[in-house]
Amino acid sequence: MAEKQLECTVAAAEHQKAWFAQLRRDVFENQKPYAIVQADMPLELFQAMDVPVVSNQWWAAMISAKRLAAAYLDAMNACGFHEGLCRYCSLPLASTLCADAAPAPWGGLPRPALLSARLTCDCIQRVFEIWAEAFGTEFIPLDVPGAANLPPKWWELSRYRWSELFEEHRLDFMVAQFYRLIRSLERITSRKFDLERLQCLMEGVNRQEEYFEEVRDLICSAPRTPVRMQEQVSNVMATQWLRGTEWAISHAKRFRDEVKARVEQNRSACPAERLRLMWVGAGLWHDMDFYTAFEAEYGAVFVWSMYLAFGPDGYIRYGLEDPLKVLASRTVSMNEQLHNPPWANEWIVDQAKRHRVDAALVLTPLGTRPSATGNRFIELALERAGIPVLSVFADMVDARSWDASEMRCKVARFLEERVMRREGKVP
Amino acid sequence: MEKDRAGIPVAGFTSNTVPWELLRAAGYFPLVLNPPCGPAPLASQFMEDGVFSARMRSIFDGVSSGAWQFLKLVVIPRTSEPEHKLYLYLREIARHGMGKSLPDVYLYNLLQARSPEGEEYGIQRTRDLKQYLEESTGRRIEPADLARALGESNQARQAIGNLLSLRHGPEPRLTGTEALPLIGAIYFMDRAEYPELAAQAAAELAGRPPARGMRLLIKGTPLHHAGLHKAIESHNAVVVAEDDWWGSRSLGRQIAAEDDILRSIANAYYCDAPGPRVFPRDINDSWFFAAAERVDGVVFYLPPEDDVLGWDYPRLREALAQRGIPSFLVREDAAEGLSSECHQNLEEFVAKLPVKS
Repeated sequence: MAEKQLECTVAAAEHQKAWFAQLRRDVFENQKPYAIVQADMPLELFQAMDVPVVSNQWWAAMISAKRLAAAYLDAMNACGFHEGLCRYCSLPLASTLCADAAPAPWGGLPRPALLSARLTCDCIQRVFEIWAEAFGTEFIPLDVPGAANLPPKWWELSRYRWSELFEEHRLDFMVAQFYRLIRSLERITSRKFDLERLQCLMEGVNRQEEYFEEVRDLICSAPRTPVRMQEQVSNVMATQWLRGTEWAISHAKRFRDEVKARVEQNRSACPAERLRLMWVGAGLWHDMDFYTAFEAEYGAVFVWSMYLAFGPDGYIRYGLEDPLKVLASRTVSMNEQLHNPPWANEWIVDQAKRHRVDAALVLTPLGTRPSATGNRFIELALERAGIPVLSVFADMVDARSWDASEMRCKVARFLEERVMRREGKVP
Repeated sequence: MEKDRAGIPVAGFTSNTVPWELLRAAGYFPLVLNPPCGPAPLASQFMEDGVFSARMRSIFDGVSSGAWQFLKLVVIPRTSEPEHKLYLYLREIARHGMGKSLPDVYLYNLLQARSPEGEEYGIQRTRDLKQYLEESTGRRIEPADLARALGESNQARQAIGNLLSLRHGPEPRLTGTEALPLIGAIYFMDRAEYPELAAQAAAELAGRPPARGMRLLIKGTPLHHAGLHKAIESHNAVVVAEDDWWGSRSLGRQIAAEDDILRSIANAYYCDAPGPRVFPRDINDSWFFAAAERVDGVVFYLPPEDDVLGWDYPRLREALAQRGIPSFLVREDAAEGLSSECHQNLEEFVAKLPVKS
């Protein structure tokens, strides 16, 4: 694992570990409720009710990073779940259903009081129904109407003109569903939902994401990136799961301060930076060293992933008078924004240009098919913008078919043949 | 194409959850898009390999290549994720001028997870569809238009019910291989003509000797072809039902012609049409278990392109075992023909089935 260059990265990891240990203590010793949810859920509602949430995707990444995915997924296949089913969103379920297959990270997930997911793909309701049954707990789904109003440059409208961008009927429907979720949260906490508290939290989320925007701008404008992509991800995601809370805002500020100081001191992540790379898709959680593997030989540094970049554009909303509707606008179109045409391709090309990206690697996870859509349009748009693309066919959590050395060779060939020659950067 | 040449606008749609009655009332000839699955060069360019089904890829190719110029409109429901993606992809192709003579493409935002707000949302989106059709044709859809279309559709439902009844009981008069095209024809032909033709077929079939063999139910990826039925029925078995919208669950129950016909239609598609996003699962399970009780065994069909119903399989297999109903899993693509090994296993499965008294 590459050294951590930022102190706040170490602090973020320590905080996450301590937070999870506290969650386990609270659940086991004090019978406090917590929830397991999909990453694209309105986490703010849970925060406003003091119900901690474990993100399904975060836990999948944890399992994968600890090299436990293969044991769980093999066990799932042995139970009759075939090998063509999605892995990213079901790996934590596997750790529950097939708990004997491997020791879970950090002692494992205790029984949640609630499971909740947005029904983006057709399989997630099944994954969560099975999981809810295994835990003997409630599952609240939020259905997802599709977007039909799709102005390409959505990020120019999302902060102020969000209500027209995301279509009133979709927002109203999301809010109606939020009320159903809130009723469940009130029941499990025996507390009343406080709209003003949500509004304060939303203001806090804006502040947090504004810090991330500053970091993003620093990465764009600095001669060489001050922070590696992996450290961006660690700092951003540790706070996004707790977004709007005091710790999250202060950590986002700390992250901004440290990155800013590094830029002022002319400290870069890779002093020999010659090529700036973009990673499109979810993180390769089982092989995070992949992202630093091309620095020494090629000066190729991953400067961009969606995790930091999406914070400002996807989350900041101004005009918080109706916080539930604002929250709906933050959640209702995440899939379209991050994965599908025209929004994902337009945004990613814009980001690539702003970040002075020389080449992009696009992950197509065939083991998680719904996350694989939109990629050909993204690749086409990047190539048309003059940015060479390498398609990476791999799974973000399942390393069973990942050949680390072969992939590194493939990327090296790509950099030599398609990027460096074109850039005139062949030594 | 005949309808197009006759000046009747043709509206294509992609699955069973688009209200045929509304398209018909607007003056369209509605038609389910179901091209033969073959090479799809445009899909190969834009649709990720191994992610979309062969059927979805063929539809994408048919619409975007200009091969289906007879289509004035394509309506895509939001009742499956691949269809939602198809809608986004077609729009993107149109935005960049990369397709040829693309028809208008409309997203019908019907949702199928049950909730009061989901039901109301579906009704409103059905009203939006009506308004869109009125604006695009320049013609109001009057209650009488809707009532007439509903009448045609209900007669077709009745005709399908009559055909399905020939598959019921210990002595089915109709094999699955025969039933699938007879029922599936409803998606491609004039519903006003269907009842008479179906009645003729039913009359002929009722008088013939019963189909012999073990009675099987298919559960799995919807079958728009009879490949699996043929394979199963080559082994002393008769497919008497299939839990999907191309067969036994085709048009569903009659739609009551109440005061607010549009609401009745919307609710029928929300409540009665099978689909992968129906939630909670008990709704789909209840049909399946009731049907399973009436057969000698169940064949699960999960071809390589499945990434949804495989989540249900271990649970349903176990539930069947507890009820004493044998089951068999097919993991191959029946459209391409089953392997000899699969045929052999299928034959053994059928041979071992206990005969129900």
